[in-house]
Amino acid sequence: MKDNKIYETLSKPLSKIGLSPISLAAFAAMALFPLVSPNEYYTKLGLTCMLWGTLAMGFDFSVGYINVANWGYAGLMGLGAYLSALLNKYFGISPWIGILIGGVVVAVLGLLIALLTMKMDAMFAALLAWFVGIVLQNIIAAVPNITRGAMGLNVRSLFATPKTAPYYYTMFVICILTFCVLKLVVNSKFGLSFRALGQDIEAAKAIGISPLKYRTINFVISCFVAGIVGGFYGHYVGVLSPNVLGTKNVVQILVIAYIGGRGSIWGSLLCAFILMPIFEMMNSLAEIKYIIYGALLIVSMIYFPGGLCKIPEKIKSFKAEKNK
Amino acid sequence: MLKLDNVCAGYGKLDVLWDVSCEIKEGEFVAIVGPNGAGKTTTMRAISGMIRPKSGQIIFNDEHLENKSMKYIHDAGISFITDGGNLFPTMTVKENLLMGALNIRDKGKKSELLDKVMALFPRLGERVNQDAGLMSGGERKMLGIARGLMSEPKLMLVDEPSLGLAPAVVLDVFRTLKGLSKEGVIVLLVEQNVNVTLKIVDRAYILEQGMIRGQGTSEELLSSEYVQKMYLGIE
Amino acid sequence: MINILISGILRGGMYVLIALGLALVYGVMGIPNFAHGEYYLIGAYAAYFALTLFGVSPVIAIIFAALIGFVFGAVIEKITFAPLRKRNTGDWVTNAFMIGAGIQLIIQNLAQYLFTANYFGVTQLWEGSIKLGSINISYDRLVAFAIAMCTLAAFWLFLKKTRTGISILAVADDEVGAMLMGVDIKRIHTLTYAMGSMLAALAGGALISITPAYPTMGTAPNLAAWFTVILVGVGNLSAVAVGGFMVGLIEVFATYFFGAAWQNVVSLIVIIMILLFKPNGLFGRKQKV
Repeated sequence: MKDNKIYETLSKPLSKIGLSPISLAAFAAMALFPLVSPNEYYTKLGLTCMLWGTLAMGFDFSVGYINVANWGYAGLMGLGAYLSALLNKYFGISPWIGILIGGVVVAVLGLLIALLTMKMDAMFAALLAWFVGIVLQNIIAAVPNITRGAMGLNVRSLFATPKTAPYYYTMFVICILTFCVLKLVVNSKFGLSFRALGQDIEAAKAIGISPLKYRTINFVISCFVAGIVGGFYGHYVGVLSPNVLGTKNVVQILVIAYIGGRGSIWGSLLCAFILMPIFEMMNSLAEIKYIIYGALLIVSMIYFPGGLCKIPEKIKSFKAEKNK
Repeated sequence: MLKLDNVCAGYGKLDVLWDVSCEIKEGEFVAIVGPNGAGKTTTMRAISGMIRPKSGQIIFNDEHLENKSMKYIHDAGISFITDGGNLFPTMTVKENLLMGALNIRDKGKKSELLDKVMALFPRLGERVNQDAGLMSGGERKMLGIARGLMSEPKLMLVDEPSLGLAPAVVLDVFRTLKGLSKEGVIVLLVEQNVNVTLKIVDRAYILEQGMIRGQGTSEELLSSEYVQKMYLGIE
Repeated sequence: MINILISGILRGGMYVLIALGLALVYGVMGIPNFAHGEYYLIGAYAAYFALTLFGVSPVIAIIFAALIGFVFGAVIEKITFAPLRKRNTGDWVTNAFMIGAGIQLIIQNLAQYLFTANYFGVTQLWEGSIKLGSINISYDRLVAFAIAMCTLAAFWLFLKKTRTGISILAVADDEVGAMLMGVDIKRIHTLTYAMGSMLAALAGGALISITPAYPTMGTAPNLAAWFTVILVGVGNLSAVAVGGFMVGLIEVFATYFFGAAWQNVVSLIVIIMILLFKPNGLFGRKQKV
């Protein structure tokens, strides 16, 4: 297919905005989905896939490139959610602006985390980010007079209509924008610097790549994504509780990002579309669902550590071996 | 006796050694010399069990070692002194040395070995209770070799003993190793410093780009045109 | 003030026990064990059932809890981390973390499935209390603390004086070096993990009358253990003793001054302050992962 003329002529211009013929087609399909979807349930499912897929992309942007796992990611997303919700509740700020503010504030927090973890090794940085997420969760639960804590905060919906379609398209725009921007950055000089840092921090330093500068840039972008998606999440679901910031959500994002393949933006998104529906289907099993989930996680980490996106590679090298 | 038979080894998809064969008898003091990246350390790693050869055989005293664990190979009497030493930084010199004799249960024997080794390396004796992590490069090398001796090995593999050591110390170390070979221990070194090495060892193999290019006694190699041109800078 | 101090010390003592298991596994095997709290859970349920179903004495129940923790740890290590190590293609740390998360999901939900979300507790193990200053300390808490201290002492002796213990420390220092010395690395890994689990289970069992068993009980001890490990850094097991007490004291003082809801926030702020000056922890050294 790659030798196809149409494919070739389209690839170049598309890559300037971070797309390829294949991803364009995929996004077109996603955009048309609500029109062919049998009912609201499926449209909502599609939205959920995009939502967690976008979070996974943002997360993988850090872990797959500069090799720092931001285990506070769910906490940061939750912060964005609460900020936007509270700004609307107490100051009447429009949710659209609230979401943006949420994104910016979380991005700033990302900058602080990057500064704080500057001298730490990757493992400690990840653990510290995890702590930050937990502390955010605790702070929110500790001031119920402001946030209503565990009782749940009602959030004003983004749209007046109960239909899912407008939310779907909003999330779609966030998703495709995130995809394109991340792709563009990853394929630029920044992306190379990120990868260099991720693979060998000493070597990168030796050729003049400042870990501080690039880690900060990476975190700011990745946390901005978390904040925006979080803000949207609040105004979509309509209710928030501190559980949103919990470790369970971090694991969910992590799983999607890893099974989708580290260092693969499209892999994370694709994986979300595969895993989330499976997960939904198992809902009736309650606890068993998580037991199966956990077992799958273990098995895939041991036997498929590269993730889904390594499968095309494996097939290629398998074919090459056969042809030898 | 140590015998390598057409050993091929590497790391993942990268092949480093190609059909390496050699034979070393008890009491011999042999070196594998060659340029950087030739595969000398890889050879040692294959013998010690750190990596598994992709093909070929490694036989030590009639036993096949190519698929055995590092522990098995260690217990068979082989001691590998790595380039970095792999010392235990939070333990003292004495504790490091005692770790070398881990599988020796007899306390008396352990003490005996400790004394013997300290006599060979008096500098270590002075620093006996110092943390290994605080020592200089040269001292670490000595400690590595001393620790390797504590298990009373039948075969000693030493990776670049001269690297980073002052010339006088190098001679000391080489003399100690030669003394060991006289006691019946097989000593196999890997070295880049061809000149000094050939003056001390009995025999040597030349390893270039993963293949044995030549071998012979020290005299033969020192007088060979090839060695003189490539390694000794004599035109 | 004295009351808070005593409370902090008692709590700290248990934290040291729990954190030691975690530090052991992290330092020796390089595994960030997120499922550590789950072994605490296993110990608690084991002690509960030993007491109520089999009606044994508290001492037996606690020992039973520790043994069950050991066995579970050994089995889990053999079926998860051992194969991972064998097939290791790099990025060991994150893969190990994910496996830990998987183990946590399985154990937590298995507990909920088998035993429901109810609290399984006992009112007391030993009767009575003593008066220290102006507060009453129940014997249960005192005994738990004593068990923790004795276990720590025994463990220290084990690590420093036995061949196996020294081997474990060697592996933590330089794994390749230990292998070169003829250490049976597979055995050490399984043993270390099993001992780490055993320590957590022991704590869970000893505190059964203070904290009943329920499916999500592992979260808080896990967090406290991690706080301790990050605070002191990696590379020095004895430092964990200090760290455990520190975290215990910080928590009770934070609760006293700001209320229980702010406990973790204060702990974290303290940890961040310390990490700003000592990025590898108070006593840690840089990991050569």
